[in-house]
Amino acid sequence: MTIWWLIRLRVAMWALTAAWKVTKWAVTAAVLVAAAPVTIVAATGFTGAWLRGWPPARLYRAALWSLPAAAVYLTAAGLAARTWQAAARWPVLGWEGAFHDVQSGRLLTAAVRTAPLAVPAGLALAGAAWRRRIYHVETGLSGRTATAPVVFDARQWRRQARTARARVAVPATIPLLDARGQIVMGATIRAIGHHWHPTLTVSPAAMGRHQVIIGASGSGKTNLMIRSWAGWHAATLSAHQRTGAPRPLLIVLDCKGGPDSRLKAQRTRRLLHGTGASRVAIWPDEAAVSLWTLPPRELAVTLFQMIDTGTGPAAYYADLTQAVLSLAVTAPPGPPAGAAEFLGRLDHGQLAGAWTGHPAELAAVTAARPHLGDIALRYRTLLERLGPALDGPGAIGDADAWYFILEGTREQTVAEAQAMAIIELVAHAATSPGTEPRTILLACDDYSAVSGRVPLWQLYERGRSLGVGVQVSAQSWHGLAGTEDERYRIASTADGGIWLLRTPYPEPVSQLAGTRRVVETATKMLAGMWGDEGSSRVQHAWTADPQIARTLATGQAGYIHAGGCTWTQIARPRPSPLALPRAPGRPPVIIPPARPATTEPPGPAALDDAFGETRR
Amino acid sequence: MTSPGPFAALGLPATPMLTDEQVRDAWRAIAASTHPDRDDGGNPGAYQAASAAYAILRAPWGRTEAYADLPPARRQPEDTAATPVPVLVPATEAVPRAVPPGIARLPARIRYGRPGHLAARVLAAAAIAAAGWLSGAGAPAVAGIVALAVTWLALTIRGDLAPPPGR
Repeated sequence: MTIWWLIRLRVAMWALTAAWKVTKWAVTAAVLVAAAPVTIVAATGFTGAWLRGWPPARLYRAALWSLPAAAVYLTAAGLAARTWQAAARWPVLGWEGAFHDVQSGRLLTAAVRTAPLAVPAGLALAGAAWRRRIYHVETGLSGRTATAPVVFDARQWRRQARTARARVAVPATIPLLDARGQIVMGATIRAIGHHWHPTLTVSPAAMGRHQVIIGASGSGKTNLMIRSWAGWHAATLSAHQRTGAPRPLLIVLDCKGGPDSRLKAQRTRRLLHGTGASRVAIWPDEAAVSLWTLPPRELAVTLFQMIDTGTGPAAYYADLTQAVLSLAVTAPPGPPAGAAEFLGRLDHGQLAGAWTGHPAELAAVTAARPHLGDIALRYRTLLERLGPALDGPGAIGDADAWYFILEGTREQTVAEAQAMAIIELVAHAATSPGTEPRTILLACDDYSAVSGRVPLWQLYERGRSLGVGVQVSAQSWHGLAGTEDERYRIASTADGGIWLLRTPYPEPVSQLAGTRRVVETATKMLAGMWGDEGSSRVQHAWTADPQIARTLATGQAGYIHAGGCTWTQIARPRPSPLALPRAPGRPPVIIPPARPATTEPPGPAALDDAFGETRR
Repeated sequence: MTSPGPFAALGLPATPMLTDEQVRDAWRAIAASTHPDRDDGGNPGAYQAASAAYAILRAPWGRTEAYADLPPARRQPEDTAATPVPVLVPATEAVPRAVPPGIARLPARIRYGRPGHLAARVLAAAAIAAAGWLSGAGAPAVAGIVALAVTWLALTIRGDLAPPPGR
């Protein structure tokens, strides 16, 4: 074996390899030319998907929907040919005829001849090619530089977001409900771990469980919430009309208050009217609700919990207050019908008269006599501060929706007490055996502003036990609750899903969403250049990428549910412009507005007595 | 000075219970008496105000929006906020008993959707079908291309129609 022989062998090997490559490319080119119609459709589909940020699934579906045309073509061919042998040859003949048409300059005829089969085949091929391209770039097998996967992903996100924005700009394409009664939230930007659909839909059942919404101011949280309320109401009302399921009852606690809340309430009302709600009550501006409709024992407990009672030596006075409240509320004449009657009962003469013939209770009244004046003063202050809107005469069940505006920013302690009372009323409406059963959704916007007396996790537990869906929003992860333990407890039990909007600290939510397995390829460097050797290994990547969450634009949100995350452009809610048929059945209940307060609100010192230390 | 609102501009009571005919009739009456092309020059200001108001109030949804935007003092006494706002009145398109509601609602869904886009889409589908027909490519291919056009139209047309009521 000489050196010359080795060189010849090496050249021969190189020539063979080159010949193989050339042959392969030549055969591929020949196939592409021979299947020119399919090639053209595939190239068009591939380019469209690349430019619009479509996933391969979209091309596959388009291919699937083109199959009926292919079926019609083949059936018509079979009918024309009369024998199956001739019918089988028809596509081949048509293909052949198309090439003759092209040679003769009849491009339209050629296109028509081949389209019924070329379109589905081409779209399927485009889908496969696009999937392969994504796989190669994402795993690092393709691309000119090591940053190619990052650049590709960022570019595709921009294109996907642009396509989703264009979709939601057309109101008719994003109704509140789809044909299957699912709530349509917006256009899908990207689906990770979920099946991709052009629009993101949420089941009304998911709304009936617990949902958490986290998003900073200006991230589109309000739009998302209002859309979900309107969609849920429309879906539940539709189910009621179709199957006789319970009517919907939407309770919104807007816990920040102020002029913005009024605007939001009006907007919510307009939307709900458009979805069939006949009565949307706005509290406390336009309608009142009665705290005194609670059963006596629940009323006594609620009234007791609404004031600060303290611990240690103060527990004595707490027990005393509780005993007096129980005596006043459960007295034989029945529970008080209003604040005035209740305050009137906090008097020794009245209580003693009411419990005449009940020696044990009379003894308790006598024992509490020295403190009755103090207790009456505290409750007078409390009820005056709470305002007349909790003094009736409306009931929660009278409306299709209640929009409660709590001044959590301006008067936190009052708002906390009001929130507690309203939650008790909702619980009573959900469980009261004598009333019409309703499907209830309790939505709390910025609940952390009023969570002092009813922590959010307690609200969740309460909702779960009552069968009430609870939706809670917060401006940040830290706004969900006071401690990390509570935050995780709330977020990890949100089985209806977590909506993640733009927020500076999304990592805890991303951790809850989990990770997915991806393949990463490391490329070997040779003398400062990327070489052609490397290795691949399985890694874990975020399902809900926190970097995406940090940079979301207004109106973009991630829906984290069932181990996946669908990034969505939320559509501005708009119900159908078509008029609803007149609602059958009962006429809407008229709820008079609150009676005006008869006395001036007490000063800060007296308020501190009722509510504890003022936090304003 | 505040704007009189679209209801006042058309001389209509501020209520979402109005029908399409009532709004259209009010608009026609004002347009006829104020149009700038009249011999006496009309009243361009009133005409423009009425035109703008008609653009808002011609659809039921616009009426509910305009109604909700009014301050309570300007609403009809029986429609104050404490009184329940009724559901919208049925659309002007009378629904014949024999016709399924979905088909009967179609004209309204087209009118309140994107009729221009819809027309363009139908024309495009018709053009594809006509091109197939005129190409002389043979009956099976023509049938296939017509099926392709019809499938595409059926899949995409929904985006140009207004959603059904309550959705």
